[in-house]
Amino acid sequence: MRKYLFIFKSELMSTLQYVFNIAAGFIGCFILLFIFLNLWQYIYSNPSEIINGYTMNQMIWYIIITEILWGISSGKKICVKISNDIKGGNIAYNLNKPYNYILYSLFSHLGSAFVKAIIYTILGMIVGFMFLGSFPNLNILSIIAVILTSVLSTIISALLVSFIGLFSFIIEDSTPFYWLYSKLILIVGTIFPIEYFPSIIQPILKLSPVYVVCYGPAKLFVDFSLNNFITVFISQIIYIGIGFGLCTLLYKKGVKNLNVNGG
Amino acid sequence: MLMEVKNQFKITLLSVKYALVREMLNKTTFITNILFMILNNASFIIQWIVLYSLKDNIGGYTFNQVLLLWGIAASTYGFSHFFFKNAYYLSDTINNGKLDSFLVQPKNVLLSAITNSVETSAIGDFIYGYIMLFIFGFSIKNFILFTFFTICGGFILTSISVILSSLSFWFNKSDIIVDTGNSLMTSLATYPDGIFKGIVKILIYTLIPAGIVNYIPVEIMTEFNINLFLIVIIFTITLISLAFLIFYKGLKRYSSSNLMVARI
Repeated sequence: MRKYLFIFKSELMSTLQYVFNIAAGFIGCFILLFIFLNLWQYIYSNPSEIINGYTMNQMIWYIIITEILWGISSGKKICVKISNDIKGGNIAYNLNKPYNYILYSLFSHLGSAFVKAIIYTILGMIVGFMFLGSFPNLNILSIIAVILTSVLSTIISALLVSFIGLFSFIIEDSTPFYWLYSKLILIVGTIFPIEYFPSIIQPILKLSPVYVVCYGPAKLFVDFSLNNFITVFISQIIYIGIGFGLCTLLYKKGVKNLNVNGG
Repeated sequence: MLMEVKNQFKITLLSVKYALVREMLNKTTFITNILFMILNNASFIIQWIVLYSLKDNIGGYTFNQVLLLWGIAASTYGFSHFFFKNAYYLSDTINNGKLDSFLVQPKNVLLSAITNSVETSAIGDFIYGYIMLFIFGFSIKNFILFTFFTICGGFILTSISVILSSLSFWFNKSDIIVDTGNSLMTSLATYPDGIFKGIVKILIYTLIPAGIVNYIPVEIMTEFNINLFLIVIIFTITLISLAFLIFYKGLKRYSSSNLMVARI
């Protein structure tokens, strides 16, 4: 475990050199938040109106949290890195290294995500307060719950994106699969809470990555409940197990073919 | 003068053609890129189905008009990123001294620099635009207008990127300005202008001309207006001229970095 913590630390130190670039990256996020603020202000003709269980302020805070989470954990970099390692043959150099390639990629991603998380959270909270003038009702327990589920959400997202990156073992360029995954999260998870979708689809969405990656932490932020926290937490642990298992399986299968092809 | 323009046009088309042939070497990746980009764009329809289940009219647009707005946004983006992909990397080309190889060629420097590669997935955006046109309502008139606005919008998007990237001749780190400008154009383009108020409404028809590229075309295709049509043409010509002017003014300040690269 110490070696992975060292990988995490070295990636974190390296990312700290680009703090300004990360902060500048928030501009894109801010533009989207601004558009959604306008859109929801238009849709909620009266700010105290409740649509599908959400007030306008809750809706906008929900989007701010999901956008922050997506900004931190979208993981395009990790997907491209794994895909390029496979396409370029660099993956062969990792075979004799004393680490697990999946865990190496995961901890390296978490190192950069950590810095991003701090910057995006501070900026996101400032923007939210600027737009709405108040925070949702939070207490120590709900803050801890949101932080914990957000960390797990980042890990799940990294594992799922790594899995897509590992698809390059089968199809040369796995980027198109990343587009689909990102749109699933963005449209179904980031823009609307699950309650906005028809009741027939809602149980399916609760089983999908959308629930553990975006909806769970954001819902806890705008409307905390202990029962909801336990459900989200357990679902996230299950997803981490499945995600890691799938990545390991695909990696092992892919590496076998790589050996046959001569690397 | 006309002969020169004709020759330059031919060279540009050849440059794009060879770049496309290079991309088509791996047919599976080529087709997957296009198909998945169409699916990627189509996924946004879900967003609008949900929004229109809450309200019949959003920002003065019906559901069909929003689809047309998306169609125009996608096809202009596709046109610009397919033919002029490198306009979006021009800032990097200037900053890293990669313009050298284009300066020694007997061709227009700007056009050579921005047309030497194509983005395959942009074909998917382009096709998606026309699919949206068919859903909105196909007619010869709509088809011609849509194609015309796609070309004008594509030129406007490219010109904006060239203008912002040309700032790299004067300032370092202007890539942040380029990214923000391009991101503003694409993000604002896909939401009805009726949801914006005050200063933003003025900005989208001036400094961030998403209104000229997307909103006016939707308005014209819904109800033809010759004045608005002329505004689009004049704005496009002005912006293209401005892009050339600023790029060539900046080019005088360009200095090589002695970077050794092989262009294959």
